[in-house]
Amino acid sequence: MSETPNNKMIKREKWNKTHVQLMVMASVSVVFLFVFAYIPMMGVMLAFKDADKAINIFKSLFLSQWTLDNFATLFSDDTFWRVFENTLYINVLLLIFTFPTPIIFALLMNEVKSLRIKKGIQTVVNFPHLISWVIFGGIILTITDPKMNVIHPILEFLRISTKENPINLNLAQYFYPKLIIATIIKSTGWGSIIYMAAIYGIDPSLYEAAVIDGAGRWSRMWRITLPLIKPTIIIFLLLNISNLLNNSFEQFYVFQTTQNLDTTRVLATYIYTQGFRYRNYSTATALSLFEGIISVILLLSGNFFSKKITGEGIF
Amino acid sequence: MKKRVTVVDVVILFFLLSFAFLTLYPFLFTLSGSLNEGLDYEYGGVGLLPRKFTLDNYSVVFSDSRLYRAFFNTVLVTAGGVFLSLLLTTCVAYAMANKHLKGKKFFWVFNIITMFFSGGMIPSYMLILALGLFDSFLVYILPAGYSVYNMIILSNFFRSIDGSIRESAVIDGANEFRIWISLYIPLSKPALATVGLWIAVSRWNSYLPTLLYTSKTENMWLLQYYLMRVIQEVTVPDIDGAVVSQRTISFAAMIVAVVPIVAVYPFISKFFTKGIMLGSLKG
Repeated sequence: MSETPNNKMIKREKWNKTHVQLMVMASVSVVFLFVFAYIPMMGVMLAFKDADKAINIFKSLFLSQWTLDNFATLFSDDTFWRVFENTLYINVLLLIFTFPTPIIFALLMNEVKSLRIKKGIQTVVNFPHLISWVIFGGIILTITDPKMNVIHPILEFLRISTKENPINLNLAQYFYPKLIIATIIKSTGWGSIIYMAAIYGIDPSLYEAAVIDGAGRWSRMWRITLPLIKPTIIIFLLLNISNLLNNSFEQFYVFQTTQNLDTTRVLATYIYTQGFRYRNYSTATALSLFEGIISVILLLSGNFFSKKITGEGIF
Repeated sequence: MKKRVTVVDVVILFFLLSFAFLTLYPFLFTLSGSLNEGLDYEYGGVGLLPRKFTLDNYSVVFSDSRLYRAFFNTVLVTAGGVFLSLLLTTCVAYAMANKHLKGKKFFWVFNIITMFFSGGMIPSYMLILALGLFDSFLVYILPAGYSVYNMIILSNFFRSIDGSIRESAVIDGANEFRIWISLYIPLSKPALATVGLWIAVSRWNSYLPTLLYTSKTENMWLLQYYLMRVIQEVTVPDIDGAVVSQRTISFAAMIVAVVPIVAVYPFISKFFTKGIMLGSLKG
């Protein structure tokens, strides 16, 4: 992502008004990010201090002793491991199911010849992305409610549920499929835009040549489209992998009830509960730090292996 | 080349249309529920058409003063947020797209690091406390006032603007601030529309700031927080003659919150797609 300006030329240039003005403009980001991103980064010190239940966090941050106790208690806590397992499990599932769907969707859209139908479908499927999880999750909760009898006739038809004994989709064990299907509905359209853009950029003469050589639809997809959008796929896969512990808070919070808490708890919501509900400030910060470190490791190692295997990577 | 419609085409189209229906279904379902009598709705089985039509749910929602307050707050936050964010982001993006900027490497690294590392919930909360932003309206606007991701996209766009336009402005004696405001901003309306709309949607849908950075008094509520409250509320407001249920009321409230997005969506959907394509050029 970085620029490689001609260093020698720039060094020879003398400072003038233009340089000062541009410097001021770019420095806006430095000032802003220093305050709103870098100062909080320094705040992770709190993970190594004893500020749980502190009345004055600032006092604890600066005055209390350095300690590793927060991590020790965290790693010996069964709930933490349960939450960590949940987070990893649900995100791997989400990756398996919701990462390929936008690609498949884009490939299928590419086969639609009528531009108007294509645009119409796109307008519809992109829409849920703009709706918050608070609303979308709220709707899903009603749709899956056995009392509402909306999804249950379909489930009865599929012999998953019966009229006499309807399955309660609010139970913890159905949380994962519910979340995955909701996520697919909400984000497939939006996620496919990037792949459609990549497909759109492919030189049409490649397809024409393939048709002349007698290549069918299937082999055109496998031999031309997929290899040419591979770099896009890999970049998004890597970004997804680095986000393996990161979840949108609302996406889970909206589905959480006391009955399903055991399966729906993920790091994002656990940090909130620890920090804001129980005021365990240091524990919550230690959790954030743990999450951040794992994310960076995942990104870097994913990038490393991707470069080894496919020759593509972000850095 | 003659286009023949094959069985495969039909199957693909059928599949895509079904998926499109599936994405639309939850919203149509909500709309129909919000127009149905509450008690009747609880018997279940109401699909895409209301069974016992009523507008009572809406009259209950519209008699809720909290809605007006939250709606007004959210409009204000969205407008202010888009304005500030575009101002700061284009300012930096302009400088970063300019070949005369010195120390560009430093600025890139300084920006990009923040995309991968963050302090987390509690340190951010402490910062908000320390800055005195807790329970202040600015907490909704200021902390998200600049985005590195949007800066990268806008500076890509600025780089695609013909440099000779800038050169001739410089010869005419314009300084960089002027070129940014009165040349580059008007020239990049499509990109600004896209990014502005992303920001608007994210502000409209923001929930966490109310939860984390305010003491949740009603005058600080934003729309999403209000909705979460309505969804979780157990008691039904007692209004004479209104046959409503907690569920149908929350549906009506959701529809009210979605209407502004639906109203602008048809006009902006093409910008949205374009915007992502802008970003993908960088890849």
